[in-house]
Amino acid sequence: MILEDIISEFNLELVNEGNLKVKINAGVIGDLLSEVMRNGKENCIWITHQTHQNIIAVAEVIGAKAILIPENLNYLPETLERAKDMRINLLKTELSGFEITGKIYKILKDNGSI
Amino acid sequence: MISPHNDVDKLVNILSKVFSNTSIENIMSSPPIVVTEETKIKYAKEVMRIKGISGMPVIKRNLKLAGILSIEDIIKVFESGDLNDHVDKWMTKDVVYLSNTDTIMKFLELNDSKKFGRYPVCNDSGKVVGVVTKLDILEWMFKKLGYIYVHDDRRYKTLNKQFVSSITGEEVNRENSDFKFKVNYKSVEMVGLGATKLKKFLIEKGIKQDLVRKISISTYEGEANIVIHSNSEGCIYCWINEDHIKVFIEDRGKGIEDIETALTEGYSTAPENVREKGFGAGMGLPNMKRFSDRMTLISSLNKGVKLEMLFYLNDQGG
Repeated sequence: MILEDIISEFNLELVNEGNLKVKINAGVIGDLLSEVMRNGKENCIWITHQTHQNIIAVAEVIGAKAILIPENLNYLPETLERAKDMRINLLKTELSGFEITGKIYKILKDNGSI
Repeated sequence: MISPHNDVDKLVNILSKVFSNTSIENIMSSPPIVVTEETKIKYAKEVMRIKGISGMPVIKRNLKLAGILSIEDIIKVFESGDLNDHVDKWMTKDVVYLSNTDTIMKFLELNDSKKFGRYPVCNDSGKVVGVVTKLDILEWMFKKLGYIYVHDDRRYKTLNKQFVSSITGEEVNRENSDFKFKVNYKSVEMVGLGATKLKKFLIEKGIKQDLVRKISISTYEGEANIVIHSNSEGCIYCWINEDHIKVFIEDRGKGIEDIETALTEGYSTAPENVREKGFGAGMGLPNMKRFSDRMTLISSLNKGVKLEMLFYLNDQGG
């Protein structure tokens, strides 16, 4: 599923824009960076509560196409800076991590992306 | 050329090759503890007792070398002399000494042939400017080496800035690496910068994306460890070889006391402030093990960490 479509489907807020035309065919949820690096797949969307700048490099090394933070949390300014440099998509939502994960999982499953 | 007699001599010998051109004046104790010829033995022995030394140069009034007084000489006084005798009556007059411009090699040659514990050091006008002992040399070397404790040939190579890969058996030559990144260990925020740079570099070199991913994740973990644990400078090196890619990550920090425990999933010594950021899950080393085809970790307490990882370019390593 194209990232752009996920964003409009769930009314996600786009905090930093990279390439929105990328295909998402996996998802990972986690706040432990090593765990995310172990389980995250290429072309995934990563749902996390971490908002500091290290998440950008983690997303970059695992090949995540977007980071999504729930609960209306905010990215740190330094995180935004680095995301701009690396052209990583940063998203946020007012929904809880549980809720948004369920919704994204369902739609990716239903349309055969995962 | 020099045959080592005991462990200390052997150690001095090995180390000295590295520093053979260093001149004695950089190492000697200076100003030296000396006595004049007219000093009474009873005072000289007190100087030695209080200073905790087993010998000292004896000088003339013009500061030139007259002899050396050692514990053995004092014992002779006790046996058959008088503590009120003057030093010049009992000192050893035929003194072997070094010049301040001599190098460690000269010391080694003397040490091998003469077996004295200490040597006065004289300048070109013959004045005593210092004393050098085997211990001075060792202490100086250890200070120079910093953390490296040298006890065998492998570490001798480390001293020479060489490191032999325990995986491939070839020397690690830091100078010819294809990629090098110095890790800023003072900033947790910067963790990942090296890994992302390496990723970019490898993609430019046309390495397969899957492999690049494994390498950059493993490198991220190694980089994080330097910043979180070592409290020292560190460096990431990468070589692209015909059939494998090698990543070598090293620091000079506090090292790992118990590697086996450190490799246990979930075990971490990371401080609270970095755990809040999602580091310190105790999965760093296990992740490196998982994503690399071969991994070797060499470390012990206070001797830094040397981490070597191989990634095969074909599927041979799985």
